[in-house]
Amino acid sequence: MKRILVKYYKKGDAAYLSHRETMRAMERALRRSGADLVYTSGFHPRVKVSFAPALPLGVSAEAEYLEVAVEREPDLADMTRRMNEALPEGLRVVSLQVLPDYMPKLSRWARYGLYRVEGAGGSFHLCLRIDGEGGGRLRDALQKLEDRFGAGVDAVTRVGIYASRDEILEEYPDKVYFYHTENGELEIMEESGAG
Amino acid sequence: METGNDVELVRSFFKRDIAQVSKPGRYLGIEVNARRRPLTARGCNCVLVYPDVYEIGMSHLGLAILYEEINEREDCMADRAYLPWVDMQELMQRKGIPLFGLESRVPLNRFDVVGITLQHELTLANVLRILSLAGIPLRAADRGSRDPLVVGGGPGAYNPEPVAEFFDLLVLGEGEEVVHELLDAVREWKDMEKGDRPGFLRRCASIPGVYVPSLYRVHYRPDGTISGIEPLEGAPMPVRKRVVSDLDRVTRPRRPLVPLVESVHDRCSLEIFRGCTRGCRFCQAGMVYRPVRERSEDVLYAWGREMISATGCDELSLSSLSSADYSRIISLAERLSRDLERERVAVSLPSLRTDSFSVELASKVGRIRKTGLTLAPEAASPRLRSVINKEVTDEDLLEAVSAAYREGWRKMKLYFMVGLPGEEEEDVEAICSLVRRIMREGDSGRPPRGLRLSVSVSTFVPKPHTPFQWVGQLSLPETARRHFILKEGLRIRGVTWKWHTREMSYLEGILARGDRRLGPVVEAAAREGCLDNWSEFFSWERWRRAMEERGLDPTWYVERERGEEEVFPWDHLSAGVDRSFLWEEYQKAQRGEATEDCRYGDCLGCGVCDGKEVSGRLAGGGS
Repeated sequence: MKRILVKYYKKGDAAYLSHRETMRAMERALRRSGADLVYTSGFHPRVKVSFAPALPLGVSAEAEYLEVAVEREPDLADMTRRMNEALPEGLRVVSLQVLPDYMPKLSRWARYGLYRVEGAGGSFHLCLRIDGEGGGRLRDALQKLEDRFGAGVDAVTRVGIYASRDEILEEYPDKVYFYHTENGELEIMEESGAG
Repeated sequence: METGNDVELVRSFFKRDIAQVSKPGRYLGIEVNARRRPLTARGCNCVLVYPDVYEIGMSHLGLAILYEEINEREDCMADRAYLPWVDMQELMQRKGIPLFGLESRVPLNRFDVVGITLQHELTLANVLRILSLAGIPLRAADRGSRDPLVVGGGPGAYNPEPVAEFFDLLVLGEGEEVVHELLDAVREWKDMEKGDRPGFLRRCASIPGVYVPSLYRVHYRPDGTISGIEPLEGAPMPVRKRVVSDLDRVTRPRRPLVPLVESVHDRCSLEIFRGCTRGCRFCQAGMVYRPVRERSEDVLYAWGREMISATGCDELSLSSLSSADYSRIISLAERLSRDLERERVAVSLPSLRTDSFSVELASKVGRIRKTGLTLAPEAASPRLRSVINKEVTDEDLLEAVSAAYREGWRKMKLYFMVGLPGEEEEDVEAICSLVRRIMREGDSGRPPRGLRLSVSVSTFVPKPHTPFQWVGQLSLPETARRHFILKEGLRIRGVTWKWHTREMSYLEGILARGDRRLGPVVEAAAREGCLDNWSEFFSWERWRRAMEERGLDPTWYVERERGEEEVFPWDHLSAGVDRSFLWEEYQKAQRGEATEDCRYGDCLGCGVCDGKEVSGRLAGGGS
């Protein structure tokens, strides 16, 4: 059994598909991908697939992830092409990667979401935890940003999902706001060393 | 196509407001396999409408076929629309957004044809709601050269009289061929700047299967019955339904749309045959879809595989009115399930006969999934079964349940009706004792442990073009009394029972055999609400008041037994089966006499086959 990491984007009208609807569309595309998928057992077998934490409705994403189990390594270019033919407009596979066995599962590393927030006050980067109990309070974070800058938000895009804050700072050395889901504080992110 | 102000309105609505509504996925129109064609300048632009919400409309095969037929043409296009959910309706009205085609986002009133399918009586108010959301004049008589042609179809077209004045025309029967004749006519009319609408409608009326309501005048007697239906200006009398003689030769949806939002039937539907000659006397589908025409096994096999690979669906349903009757069912089902098993696609048989053959077949092909099994004995007493011509015995049912139990099903659903003609109290009690017997002894004398039965009871509604079109429907208090018998008698461990809302069946009864005088009633009821088939929105009071205000008596429409000679509101519309045959069947019902299936026995002379184009066709080669 091999695991494949699927990186995809969700743009335009597809941003209005719920997490569940997106999962359905991706699963259908996987079934049409030609890959030899691993299915769950039981009366209602399903594709063995796991998704990154849900994206709120209306938020676009440039780099979302899902992980799918296959019996043997497929032709990745062919699989990409077939999946893209089977996806609704706005959902597209960006890349596929066969994961080495030592790589942790998606659910283990998908911790932080990085968002680009565009509004009258300009464009910001906002980071918050998306896993576990306190994850996914994007709406609260946006409200906090609006309050702080007194400007409305026009568009929000999740630009990536990361395992640690340091990874984000490496890629985005400029100012990134970090929203603490535990206490609702907004601060400028600095290298923590802790991740 | 010019881009008008309202097109811009819709566009900005999507940018600013769409995230506010529940499940916006229903309104996006970006489904896999959506054709998303722009409107044409000179061809016929159609929008196909299912007058209920997306989740229901997306599963409908008839519109999928027409979508394919029209979009296969270079010169014409078809978009789709459904009734928006209530929150979306409110938002659209508040923002002044007209109902639009999902794929093009062009308002409905800019199309040449708005085609609406009539599948159920309780969606008639939805039809008017759709027209008003679209800003299309409700009455056909009020529409001008810039307004679309509102066209109806589906089984409801066999008595569309309660909504007849809202349609420019309706099509009776199967649409695969007549749709092209209509598209060509509209194209021609469009070339002439759509002048002289009445003249155009007269020309349409000469196309076989096309019914133009404005070309028929209905005369009433003082007692409310009809004295005559008068065709005007040479309109055909009666209008005869269209039948496709060879289903292998017509278009099939090879790349069906994949719903973005979970729908009621999330599966690919492989229509294995049309028609049913079992002859159940209550069943309108069994009468109006005659004769039986099977598709050939190889066509079906290839079509099934094609649809699965074009959609990624995980279920292929072999659909028809009685799937186990297909001549080559075992071979077809086994080939498909064997070949699709590798892709974890389940093959299912949705409409099963109540016998062990069907259950074992379902089990064999449905190796993968055992969710629920539905059996429909309809009536519990042998006497009543002979009235409805449903030749199934208690033993058949017990064997079917036991077979299902053996094969691993633990949840089963049984369908019964109350209020069938001639039903007595003991017939209702027979439902309870039959269910008790299943739970106590199965067919081996031992209780089937862990079996959960869900008993679903609907109220019989007499339908036009059936042998029971003459009978009176049960009154509301009497239905309640029979439900009470069931409520008491079905208190059995492992059994739950559900019944149809009595007033919904009553309204269904009014509209099913309604006449044109109900037009303003539907209009008034639709102004105040819609979605009558959703119990949270249904309001009997709304309808009762609308009838009262117009001096119409619901009991007259619903409970009255009609005489042999009564002129029905649908007498100018023919589903092919002769009225005399239906009457004879009604008489036989009262005598408890059976009528054989013409598939196995002699021709019954029901009138549908013409000996030339229209006749039964079996995949095994016989007819």
